[in-house]
Amino acid sequence: MLDYVALEADLDQEERLIRDTAREFVDEEVRPDIGEHFLDGTFPRELVTEMGELGFYAPNLDGYGLPNVSERAYGLLMQELEAGDSGVRSMASVQGALVMYPIHAFGTPDQKERWLPALGRGEAVGCFGLTEPEHGSNPSSMATTAERDGDGYRLSGSKTWITNAPIADVAVVWARDRSAEGSPVRGFLVETDRDGVTTQAIHEKLSLRASITGEIGLSNAWVPEEDVLDVEGMKGPLSCLTQARYGIAWGAVGAARNCFETAREYATEREQFGRPIGSFQLQQEKLAEMATRITTAQLLAHRLADLKARGDLRPQQVSMAKRNNVRMAREESRRAREMLGGNGITADYPPMRHLANMETVYTYEGTHDIHSLILGEDLTGLSAFE
Amino acid sequence: MKVLVTVKEVANVADDFEIEGLTIPEQFLEYDLNEWDDYAVEAAVQIAEDRDEDVEVVAVTVGPERSEETVRMALAKGVDRAVRVWDDTLAEAALVGPTAMARVLAAVAEAEDPDLVLSGVQAADDGFGATGVALAEHLEYAWAAVVNDLELDDETASVRRELEGGVEELTSVPLPAVLTIQTGINDPRYASLRGIRQAQRKELDVRTLADLGLDPAVLDDDLTLTGLARPESESDATLFEGSAADTADDLETVLRDAGVSAE
Repeated sequence: MLDYVALEADLDQEERLIRDTAREFVDEEVRPDIGEHFLDGTFPRELVTEMGELGFYAPNLDGYGLPNVSERAYGLLMQELEAGDSGVRSMASVQGALVMYPIHAFGTPDQKERWLPALGRGEAVGCFGLTEPEHGSNPSSMATTAERDGDGYRLSGSKTWITNAPIADVAVVWARDRSAEGSPVRGFLVETDRDGVTTQAIHEKLSLRASITGEIGLSNAWVPEEDVLDVEGMKGPLSCLTQARYGIAWGAVGAARNCFETAREYATEREQFGRPIGSFQLQQEKLAEMATRITTAQLLAHRLADLKARGDLRPQQVSMAKRNNVRMAREESRRAREMLGGNGITADYPPMRHLANMETVYTYEGTHDIHSLILGEDLTGLSAFE
Repeated sequence: MKVLVTVKEVANVADDFEIEGLTIPEQFLEYDLNEWDDYAVEAAVQIAEDRDEDVEVVAVTVGPERSEETVRMALAKGVDRAVRVWDDTLAEAALVGPTAMARVLAAVAEAEDPDLVLSGVQAADDGFGATGVALAEHLEYAWAAVVNDLELDDETASVRRELEGGVEELTSVPLPAVLTIQTGINDPRYASLRGIRQAQRKELDVRTLADLGLDPAVLDDDLTLTGLARPESESDATLFEGSAADTADDLETVLRDAGVSAE
């Protein structure tokens, strides 16, 4: 795979082995069937436990049987998974960064003991409920509420656009606690088989088709006190999103690299006018542009890993990388599709599948525009949205 | 019980490559664990997992420092520790054939004294396919080649061997024994991230021929590498283009010219 400025030559042995294992896994377990799953609108469910056995969920966390690999190794893993399909990387991102991370960061010892090993092995599936039908880019305006009731809380509201909601055992649900002063946002570990909890799949998506997406309805659902996370305010959900966006910034590079390699191979093999189309200047310009933009995005991802490893990474820097790298993958997957001509619109080749997926990735986990505003605020000190 | 697995880092050659004298330049090569050895490693790790007694699985390789990555992958998959043999004499040898390789491996095996040695049937790069059996000869161990099924008790390995023409042989081999493992005998696992982390802390000893008490002359061999060439392609492929009716006519002409006839 394209690594034009040899960033991967500087990986340590452990990171190289993790990259190679993930790449082999994607080649053998994801790539053969993923086009079919995309067409059928199904997620390869067997991957849930297979990825768990390999330690692909929250591998950068410590304890509870988790591997505690470097932030760069975690990024490389996300990159390789998304080179397969954004749906597969999303599964790992949600389970690891949006469910296991908040339990690891804000959970009680009992909550960690109960959930982290099972989620890590893929024996339990988690999901993350923040977005609501009427509250997307502005989650702090959420309408879902929690009300004190005996030894627990009653939750009411609805959450949507949730990866894995229909197959989840537990949902991390963010709600406003109306029984506390100022109605702070709090996180609840809601088992999906509790009374008053319903989940529903969202069908007929035209993007991220090899991924299960759904809604959660909470109708006076009671959750015991011991299932409440120890965090108050928007920093709870936002800190999870920073973790997940870091993985997306890496993953988008993987999807783009897969598109690039497909286009490069096609251009060197496909002959028109008696020679490979890759010998024509118009195609070469496309490849040069793709390679350059992929490489600059890759540099950004590697730099984030350094900053994250030493604890200096700011959420705004993650916003810049997510914003840049997903836009890059969205545009370069289209360019690759174009180079493949008619073949490019089929599921036999990955670019259009990645292209369709990138429409989701472009607007989830903070839309592209919202990340522009986060950067704008950081650069000027003036918020455009508060 | 102790199981010794011989592993080799093999060179995979790019689709387009050049030959320079007796070698293929580095830029056309990528290195990986020999496919057959991957199955041998899996077989050894499964023995360790399935048996009630303690089983130590030791991997041995003959190769440069670069090959440690391949060995670490075996450690990540459950091998307990590894020995890598290398020195200037090995580095400078133009060719280490199966006889010489078996002498080196035998020195390691004698020191380890395993109950069972598993080796891949052959190496994907030079394809000699003789190292395992030669090793058994040096060790005076029983042996079975091209094993595609294996059951083990305390004294015997019951194996199924793949012979020519789809024939299989069931046989029992008394331990200690060397078995050369065929692909398909199992389903090699992926290294888990936890396994990869643990592998970094596992013992990987580096030994020279002198450490093993071997004289450089062990590498002397009747086999020498005299030339390296790409085989000439002797077949000409003709591609028929057009409608099914046209291409069927074309094919008929070719078949008739070749003497194939339905009359």
